[in-house]
Amino acid sequence: MTNAIEELQYAKVLFVIGSNTTEAHPVISYYMKRAVKNGSTLIVNDPRKTDLTRWATLHVQHKVGTDIAYINGLIHEIFKNGWAREEFLLNCTENPDQIRESVKDYPVETASEICGVPVETMKQVARILGEAESASVCYTLGITEHICGTDNVKTLANLQMVLGNIGKFAAGLNPLRGQNNVQGACDMGALPNVYHNYQPVDNPAVSEKMAKAWGVESLPQKPGYKMPTMLRKALDGGTRILYCVGDNTIQTEPHMAHTIKEIEALEFFIVCDIFPNITTPYADVIFPDTAWGEEDGTFSNTERRVQRVRRALTPPGEARSHWWVMQELGKRLGKDLGFHSANAVWEDMRKTATSYAGITWERIENIGLQWPCPTLEHPGTGFLHREGKFTRGKGLFSPTKWIPQAEPPDSEYPIVLSTGRRLWHYHSGTQTRNSNGFDNIFGEELLEISPEDAEKLGIRTGDTVKAISRRGSIVLKAWVTDRSAPGVAWCAFHFSEACANVLTIDRFDSVTETAEYKACAIRIEKVSDGELLGVGIRRQARP
Amino acid sequence: MLNQSTIEAIQRKAATYPERESALMPALEMVQRENHNHLTRDMIRDVAELIGVTFAKAYGVATYYSMYNLRPVGKYHLCVDTNIPVYLSGAEAILTHLEQILGIRVGETTADGLFTLSEVEDLGSCGTCPVIMVNDVYYENVTIEKTDALIASLRNGVLPDPVDESYYGTVCSILLKNRGTANAQTLAVYRNRGGYQALSKALTIPPNELLDLVKHATVRGRGGAGFPAGMKWGFLPKNDPRPVYLICNADEGEPGTFKDRQIMQYDPHLLIEGMSIAAHTIGSRKAFIYIRGEFEWIARILEVAIEEAKTAGLLGSLDIVVHRGKGSYECGEETALIESLEGSRGCPRIKPPFPANVGLYGCPTIVNNVETLSCIPYVVEHGAEAFRSVGTLGNYGPKLFGVSGMVNRPGVYEYPLGTPLSTVLAAAGGVKGQLKAVIVGGLSVPILTASEAETLKLDYDSCIKAETMLGSGGIMVMNESVSIPRVALRSIRFYAHESCGQCTPCREGSLVVKRLLKGIVDGHGKTEDIDTILAICDTVIGSTLCPTGDAWGMPIRAMIRKFRHEFESLIR
Amino acid sequence: MKLTLNDRLFEVPDGLTVLEAAKRCGVYIPSLCYHHKTGPAGKCRACLVEVEGMRGLQTSCTVQVREGMKVVSNTPRVLAAQRLVIDLLLSSGHHDCLSCEQNGDCELQQAAYYLGIERPTFRIDEEFKLDSSSEFITKDSGKCISCGRCVAGCNKTVVNEVLGFGFRSGSTEIIADDDLPMGSSSCVQCGECVQLCPTGALSDKKAHGQGRYWDLEKVDTTCPYCGVGCQTTLHVDRAKNRIVRVTGREVSPNQGMLCVKGRYAYEFPSHEDRLKYPMIRRNGQHVRVSWDEALDYTADRIRTIVAKHGPDTFSAFGSGRITNENNYAIQKFTRVVVGTNNVDHCART
Repeated sequence: MTNAIEELQYAKVLFVIGSNTTEAHPVISYYMKRAVKNGSTLIVNDPRKTDLTRWATLHVQHKVGTDIAYINGLIHEIFKNGWAREEFLLNCTENPDQIRESVKDYPVETASEICGVPVETMKQVARILGEAESASVCYTLGITEHICGTDNVKTLANLQMVLGNIGKFAAGLNPLRGQNNVQGACDMGALPNVYHNYQPVDNPAVSEKMAKAWGVESLPQKPGYKMPTMLRKALDGGTRILYCVGDNTIQTEPHMAHTIKEIEALEFFIVCDIFPNITTPYADVIFPDTAWGEEDGTFSNTERRVQRVRRALTPPGEARSHWWVMQELGKRLGKDLGFHSANAVWEDMRKTATSYAGITWERIENIGLQWPCPTLEHPGTGFLHREGKFTRGKGLFSPTKWIPQAEPPDSEYPIVLSTGRRLWHYHSGTQTRNSNGFDNIFGEELLEISPEDAEKLGIRTGDTVKAISRRGSIVLKAWVTDRSAPGVAWCAFHFSEACANVLTIDRFDSVTETAEYKACAIRIEKVSDGELLGVGIRRQARP
Repeated sequence: MLNQSTIEAIQRKAATYPERESALMPALEMVQRENHNHLTRDMIRDVAELIGVTFAKAYGVATYYSMYNLRPVGKYHLCVDTNIPVYLSGAEAILTHLEQILGIRVGETTADGLFTLSEVEDLGSCGTCPVIMVNDVYYENVTIEKTDALIASLRNGVLPDPVDESYYGTVCSILLKNRGTANAQTLAVYRNRGGYQALSKALTIPPNELLDLVKHATVRGRGGAGFPAGMKWGFLPKNDPRPVYLICNADEGEPGTFKDRQIMQYDPHLLIEGMSIAAHTIGSRKAFIYIRGEFEWIARILEVAIEEAKTAGLLGSLDIVVHRGKGSYECGEETALIESLEGSRGCPRIKPPFPANVGLYGCPTIVNNVETLSCIPYVVEHGAEAFRSVGTLGNYGPKLFGVSGMVNRPGVYEYPLGTPLSTVLAAAGGVKGQLKAVIVGGLSVPILTASEAETLKLDYDSCIKAETMLGSGGIMVMNESVSIPRVALRSIRFYAHESCGQCTPCREGSLVVKRLLKGIVDGHGKTEDIDTILAICDTVIGSTLCPTGDAWGMPIRAMIRKFRHEFESLIR
Repeated sequence: MKLTLNDRLFEVPDGLTVLEAAKRCGVYIPSLCYHHKTGPAGKCRACLVEVEGMRGLQTSCTVQVREGMKVVSNTPRVLAAQRLVIDLLLSSGHHDCLSCEQNGDCELQQAAYYLGIERPTFRIDEEFKLDSSSEFITKDSGKCISCGRCVAGCNKTVVNEVLGFGFRSGSTEIIADDDLPMGSSSCVQCGECVQLCPTGALSDKKAHGQGRYWDLEKVDTTCPYCGVGCQTTLHVDRAKNRIVRVTGREVSPNQGMLCVKGRYAYEFPSHEDRLKYPMIRRNGQHVRVSWDEALDYTADRIRTIVAKHGPDTFSAFGSGRITNENNYAIQKFTRVVVGTNNVDHCART
């Protein structure tokens, strides 16, 4: 996030896109709803009628995967009406004319035809954004989990730069990250192209610096493979060893049948985890990991705040922290990595990372600090790019073009399946389903189907249905609900018994290799009548 | 599902308020009326969705106000007032008689679904009681015989026309000058008798001069507190961009009080003229009359009068909305009234901020009583000095005294402030039997013994000197036949029922006192119970969020202190 | 600002209420309906004090400190008023501390202790409702003092808009939606109401009977679910080695607020199905081995395969679920020990 979470409650306009905030980031949704209560305008842009729409000033229901057309249409309208912040464009961006030119392909009428949002609504949204003193854009995986995910993000960045909403309080471009430490994993260099602190591996100066710091002669300068490529290469012998930590790969990667083939093709598969899951049976070696609550360390949240986690429990059996495993393996492979404690690991990292140089465990004993925090005196950074000063100097527009989803619906598979997360569960369910009570509230996956489609298919809530894609099929109960738009069905991947990833497509964004979890084509067949599930009342993330 | 015409009616009503939530209570009322006087849970949900409030809020409102029926009621819902003035005039006999002839007990509905019998709090008919409200029609001055006739008629499906008979008198001819004139509630008659001349005059005077005029006249608030209206208006912030709201407090719920209805029922244009002048003075374009829901027929009279005045172009750009309460004493308190008008439960707010600065919808707001506003035309027409020439030093102008209880001609009498109590009692036909005690300002002021009352003058300052208050001028007279402990018990029952429930001493304290008094009256009290009650009253006074704690703490304490022997005599 | 409190002179910052100032000065004034997140309500009347120059008793939660103000919180009159309030609250409910979850952390209990109230003086007959229909939250009207903190929290802090006040006077109670059992209401069980409740009226159902407040060790940490990084306090039973309860810390970024997962999905570390020992697959079966054996075997296999096929045939997944330190350890291992940049994690899911 360019801005801090708590700033959201002061945002004048909140533009939320591709984020089921009330379920996936409930605490952030509290701040958003508070803003609404204080008079802010909340625009929820989502093909689904998520619970957050209840509080929205406007719910824009664009079609799945049409974000680029929709946003470019808005930018076009903003330029057309003179709402662009010309001073910001002039002083803080490098190529404003390029964006001005490129969105000419997307007058609202054209955009509207693609994204299905009425022209008048698009104009209204553009006006709200254009006339607002500032606006905060929040997005989640609805933006990134497309084959055009990178371009989706760039388009949103373009929008915010055109509106001069970067470097301001309660504005900015705010990805709401889905995992407790996905920010930290990136920050710490668990990425194939950068070390911690985003230092490029292919930069010779960096490589030399790191080799020196780590006490080795040299380091590989060729960027590594991203996860999907690593897996794909298992099939041709390019990947032989997979060392997998805290990742239920089979359940969480798209196209499950194919993932299994890739895993099976490995020569040596090491899994470090806290629970047996559907991936562990394939492991050659299993290391029992410590769980949250069993070790000391830090997490970095979505607003770049480094915070302490602490050991409260004794790990079961012989479970050990992973840094210890790395140290032990390193030793056996001839290298002392110098990991004697979690804090020692942090200190080792801090020496070579300017953004965290000022963050010690001692300083974050009580409250976390937001990076960049380069010195021990630095108070941390609430929002980035203050006064429009970008890290790279001036902001760069990257014009984008809309492309259709990888697998559009057709007569055989007429429904778009979108996937995501539910309030009551987390990812592959190893935590929530092994905690008491959650399965009582929401104990099996449901396929959300629009009332229109359900009527055509003769399906009622509670009926057992089969969802079939070109890659597989799952059997689960139906939930007929206007949360789904006509032509769109939805389910989550929390339950291995009926996991969305049996159906999802293994097509990826070319830059990030993020899979298109949010759109694949399926057909739905009714299997048998069921008993009507208890129909609760509004605003509840369950039927 | 609500039907389309109801939805449209609710939408129209909602459009009359600056904020939609204000339409919550009217919407619930409309829906209830259409469903045989009964609100179901589904209906409340539908209304919540339509207005845009949470289910909890709508349900909280529906269960707060006593006039929403969450259980089905009979075709004729008989509500019998048993509060003090009525109690003094034999309400219990009527209630018992109804139970007998209908064969049901209070709270029940007859098997044929025809009648539901309810015991209710003060209906504002203290001078014309006993009273039975049937749906929203008042039958006053009822007797056992009249009750029989009423029930017989209802059994035949005929809701008889109510008879309007009440005593009144005036020596000032300011507030009740049109009281005896036929059709005075019509604009034509009102104008014939000189009405709206004050407004015409006021419109030629700059607001700041009008304000000075009202300030100089010193019109003390007739609702109970006696705070000068002009000074209140002067508290409005200057050069503030927010709209200013004027609210007429017509909630008249203080037991013993039935004076404001004399104006609204018989001379509504006097109030409307007063409000128009006030609105002009304080720069308000939107005014409300918050009237208690039981006065449905009076609300309609007001709406007709407002429409007439509007059509005649008398109101200019002023818009007056009549907003009905739905059964809550607490809403007579100005901040609770504002909460209620905003569509919430009638719970008073913390002061400061005062409504003059942060009131309705967070905007500057003036809340004045009906009688107060009705004094304004006279002040404008005849000048401040003329107004000050009525009454005594610091207590100027006419006052309506509602006399109820054990007098021969209970009714409303207009006298200058400072008039001796004895004069007013004489006007009311004198006391029936031997005067024992009197409450002069509505149920919430300390009781006076006969000897204390002997020389009392009816004005704000004299009453304070006599350690009571003039309050609303609701005078309840008790003779030697009255048991003060029973009066105390009936009083605390009322307050325990009406406490809004948000602050501890009032909510729980009233329950404890009720329980202890019940024990004493029922003959199983203990001497220390009397002291416990006194201790609770002592502590509750001055320690509640709104004046309601004082409103029962002071009178109960006074009853015990002054008539302690009566309480003790009930203890074995 | 200068404030005289019970004849002692204090210097306090501007903009505080008397109650907040007293708290800073270490002077205890009983208070129940005030919480810094929900603001002054002036309802419970427990915090009454005398303020020089002001008529009657004042609620210290609503009065702003003015320069030179003199406040007394310990006169017989003040204490009598405070005592009546607390006594009435104790009398009106079913405040049985013996097995109450809030025992030791109860603001009503604390006030009663301060005022020396051993048992309630009055008797108020009321019926109480115990609502245990919700999976994680118990609502016990017998312990409810109608302070309204839960209602304010639900509507203004987390804006879930479920709770409200229903009925009136002595019958006033907290309702969920239109007085539904909590379990069938639209409540999302974020538990903010539990966190704000000064008594045991709203409590964490799963924590019932699992350990006294004072026996549980408090460990501050960060929530393991989404990327918000809510700050929490774990209430830990050391002897049984398990987490009994989770509360939100009133600091950034969450200011005490949590969601249903962060507050209630905490038992998984103690689940019996945990992976507890290193295992190696032998003949298609996973068999328990010692760490040394597992590590030796793994190191050997890595060494052999990398020697034969090159370091780029090795790939490692870090994780968005594990600590910074562990992720750093994985990248350093991969780059330094194996000599490849093939390290990535599930950033994309």
